[in-house]
Amino acid sequence: MANIMIQRGARGDYVFYLPKRDLEDAIVSMEFDTPEKWGGEIRLNNGGSYYIEPQAAPAKLPISLRARRLDAAE
Amino acid sequence: MQKVDDIKPCYPLFRQDEYKESLGNKQDQFEERHGKDVVQDTFTWTTTAEYRDLNFKREALTVNPAKACQPLGAVLCALGFEKTLPYVHGSQGCVAYFRTYFNRHFREPVACVSDSMTEDAAVFGGQKNMIDGLENAKALYKPDMIAVSTTCMAEVIGDDLNAFILNTKKAGNIPDDFPTPYAHTPSFVGSHVTGWDNMFEGVMRYFTLNTMEGKAPGQNGKINIVPGFETYLGNYRVIHRMLDEMGVAHTMLSDPAEVLDTPADGKFRMYAGGTTQDEVKDAPNAHNTFLLQPMQLEKTKKLVEGTWNHEVPKLNIPMGLEWTDEWLMKVAEVTGKPIPASLVLERGRLVDMITDSHTWLHGKKFGLYGDPDFVMGMAKFLTELGAEPTHILCNNGSKKWNKAMRAVMDETPYGRDAKLYPGADLWHFRSLMFTEKPDFMIGNSYGKFIQRDTLHKGKEFEVPLIRIGFPIFDRHHLHRATTLGYEGAMQVLTTLVNSVLERLDEETRGMGTTDYNHDLVR
Amino acid sequence: MSALTREETEALIQEVLEVYPEKARKDRAKHLAVNDQSIEQSKKCITSNRKSLPGVMTIRGCAYAGSKGVVWGPIKDMIHISHGPVGCGQYSRAGRRNYYVGTTGINTFGTMNFTSDFQEKDIVFGGDKKLAKVMLEIESLFPLNKGISIQSECPIGLIGDDIEAVAKKTAKEINKPIVPVRCEGFRGVSQSLGHHIANDAIRDWVLPRRDTQEFASTPYDVAVIGDYNIGGDAWSSRILLEEMGLRVIAQWSGDGTIAEMEMTPNAKLNLIHCYRSMNYIARHMEEKYSIPWMEYNFFGPTKVAESLRAIAAHFDDKIKEGAERVIAKYQAMMDEVIAKYKPRLQGKRVMLYVGGLRPRHVIGAYEDLGMEVVGTGYEFGHNDDYDRTIKDMGNATLIYDDVTGFEFEEFVKRVKPDLVGSGIKEKFIFQKMGVPFRQMHSWDYSGPYHGYDGFAIFARDMDMTINNPCWSKMTPPWLKPVAPETEQKAA
Repeated sequence: MANIMIQRGARGDYVFYLPKRDLEDAIVSMEFDTPEKWGGEIRLNNGGSYYIEPQAAPAKLPISLRARRLDAAE
Repeated sequence: MQKVDDIKPCYPLFRQDEYKESLGNKQDQFEERHGKDVVQDTFTWTTTAEYRDLNFKREALTVNPAKACQPLGAVLCALGFEKTLPYVHGSQGCVAYFRTYFNRHFREPVACVSDSMTEDAAVFGGQKNMIDGLENAKALYKPDMIAVSTTCMAEVIGDDLNAFILNTKKAGNIPDDFPTPYAHTPSFVGSHVTGWDNMFEGVMRYFTLNTMEGKAPGQNGKINIVPGFETYLGNYRVIHRMLDEMGVAHTMLSDPAEVLDTPADGKFRMYAGGTTQDEVKDAPNAHNTFLLQPMQLEKTKKLVEGTWNHEVPKLNIPMGLEWTDEWLMKVAEVTGKPIPASLVLERGRLVDMITDSHTWLHGKKFGLYGDPDFVMGMAKFLTELGAEPTHILCNNGSKKWNKAMRAVMDETPYGRDAKLYPGADLWHFRSLMFTEKPDFMIGNSYGKFIQRDTLHKGKEFEVPLIRIGFPIFDRHHLHRATTLGYEGAMQVLTTLVNSVLERLDEETRGMGTTDYNHDLVR
Repeated sequence: MSALTREETEALIQEVLEVYPEKARKDRAKHLAVNDQSIEQSKKCITSNRKSLPGVMTIRGCAYAGSKGVVWGPIKDMIHISHGPVGCGQYSRAGRRNYYVGTTGINTFGTMNFTSDFQEKDIVFGGDKKLAKVMLEIESLFPLNKGISIQSECPIGLIGDDIEAVAKKTAKEINKPIVPVRCEGFRGVSQSLGHHIANDAIRDWVLPRRDTQEFASTPYDVAVIGDYNIGGDAWSSRILLEEMGLRVIAQWSGDGTIAEMEMTPNAKLNLIHCYRSMNYIARHMEEKYSIPWMEYNFFGPTKVAESLRAIAAHFDDKIKEGAERVIAKYQAMMDEVIAKYKPRLQGKRVMLYVGGLRPRHVIGAYEDLGMEVVGTGYEFGHNDDYDRTIKDMGNATLIYDDVTGFEFEEFVKRVKPDLVGSGIKEKFIFQKMGVPFRQMHSWDYSGPYHGYDGFAIFARDMDMTINNPCWSKMTPPWLKPVAPETEQKAA
């Protein structure tokens, strides 16, 4: 499990940030993205993917979360 | 705002009104500063005897030390051997610091590598780093020798240099016969001068310990000179010159005077000059070995006496008149070569200079700080001039230093009042400069902050700094000067007397107040 | 000297790599690249933030340097203990030119060196007791300090000391903040982790201290983050922000105070200059305190104006007009500076190798003077730094990450730039080779270089070094061959 942060990019998209590795990348898809259910598998622009326990959508961004790595980019 | 015809850097730019206002606003609105009165009262308190006594009660805290750590000395020692790359086993940040420290002092490039140990090495040891590091360093920088020392990280985890280097050779990453002397140089023991001593002993041991057969004192007709942690390039040169003039064949064991003084001619030389491996191997065959900074070369002395069977002459650092005399007489005695007329003439010139200048130096009081042998030689020379060393501080001075220094000072009426401070730092020294003000202090660049503090109390309390020591970062080219031998004494004397005269000029420049004694002829 | 083509630059990299043993060659190959502006993500062309190879003469420092030397050291009214052996504190004492004003030794401590000067017994028996005593002695001798930070040197993490416990206990006794920082030099691969660790220490031990305290804010409060005030950089930046109508409530960390750090969460916008060393805390404040942040660049008039406008875009018309007013006010002076120096510098080619933000941030300033940056690299950059660099550099220019002494020397020999901008460890190598050189960490004891006033100094300095007569004196006249033109250039 890794500490990650999800924030809004300049174009309103989601941006993924992994502080431990200073990895900042666009999120290209998020499995659930509704007010009630939000998270699940997220895919990054670099090809990597992570899993966030689905939850109610956060009231504000950025938010720090725990995430499980499914597939590393490198 | 800047004017294109008068572009100002930080000073005096920030003395312009718009910046004074901006900085003032920051201070008043956001810094939550202590009131001016509180700051001033506290400052005044720090200048008192009460504060000095509290300050000297410190047991754990060091503030503004006047020493550095072992591997720094090891690097300087290694630089003194021909085509030798200093290699520090441990964290890489240390090497960045050593290089920077020497770069700033010598204004020269300093080649030195680290094997960049990180967390995994902290757990598993640094052998992998050593195996790759020696191979990479040799391939890239093509040295003839790699001299290995350690940082505190490697020492704390207990890395075994000997085994690691052997395993590197076994793995075939560098040839078996490639010279790799080493020394453990823990930074939590001693200081930079200890590290020089350890590295030197390591190099000598590597090349001579197991090859003593057939070697005996006197066979090569030379003498050996061991400089110790020496940062005045002129000192290497003056020793060579004096011995050349005597016709004494000699080897300077560790001589970085070339590599730390290469020309600007379009070419970068990573290596230049230095003591050769053959000279090192031949060193036990010399008549004897002279240690220029004997207080700082204890381990070296053991090896030279124990392994090489040399009887190291009991001498002091050849600084000033008498100790240079003694040094030359001992060289003459050991080698059978008389002291030549040229050195007699040079000595006479030094004495002549002293007679010329004694009127300005007699009774002047000096506080000084620095490495053990340096402060000893400096204090001794001051007493020869009729000047009085009042406070002699040696952060890396031992009990042994204290005893020896005391004996030297007690020999002369000019030294009897000198107080000695082994193990004390420059915040201690600051207190002394306030409560027992001398006329000047002598030391490295760090003293400039003490001068500023004393001036802040008032012009009459200011103790001007005379820059002799290591490091000197804030003046150019002083590292090329000489402090040893008659020549060194001449340069030091010139520096001292002109500092006195410069100061007198400064104090007598008041037009209509101190017109007297602002003399053209002195 | 015309620029190298892409093929030539690639060949140069291959040639330089040949000397390495195989394992090292493979690794170094990933850190050297020819710039390609069409690449979106730098990781496709260059690897960064990896361990330096042993024995190659990296220019990097350590985590302690990143925390004590960069982030914490400049906080002027706190005392920073170099906790461990004597060396680290001594080598990093007063060398970075983080300017501040105060009464040093009384209410400010920036150029001093406080150390626990570890001896063998401290390693063997642990240093916690000594640390506690060190801090009590500090409190008695330096009563006006506003707090203490403990900057760990390598042994601390290896001998199992509990500096956090000592910090908490002593903080209660002296009733001042004490911040333990685990920035042992062996952690991570460079200074960079030290920045991060230092940021986290601020997050955990400093920022929450005033979470409930009232603050008289204005709508125009900003904080300057990641300006270390080298040569006064933060001062020549701050003045522009003030002139456009903003109120700078905190400066991190050059000329900084703990009060300013603690008040920062009241800012309306965090302005980040050195992204590399302080993006972490900006992200944290965005999440916890909803403070937006933006990167800006105050090197050179083009970037300054761009940045002033981008900053103003976060505020109302009053500030937007203020930004235009400031830009207009300095325009004439900037035009004069460029008119004076550009003709002397036009077309000159520069190679950089620095840390933090400078490998990309100063490109614009050189371009304002008609100069071109033909090679650049970061000591301790990450992918996000290179992402931001690719588009600022010309195609086919050289990019090098964590360059080794050997590589840098070879690159400069072949690319033959008119100026190298790097650090003190590189300075004398290139000066001896006859290549004009400016230290771009310490501004070569000049500065400030930030802001409009700073750019004037920057222009003056680049001119004085490139056009100084010393560079033509490398070869004695009697050794110069008949065609002196070509020989001078080679020298």
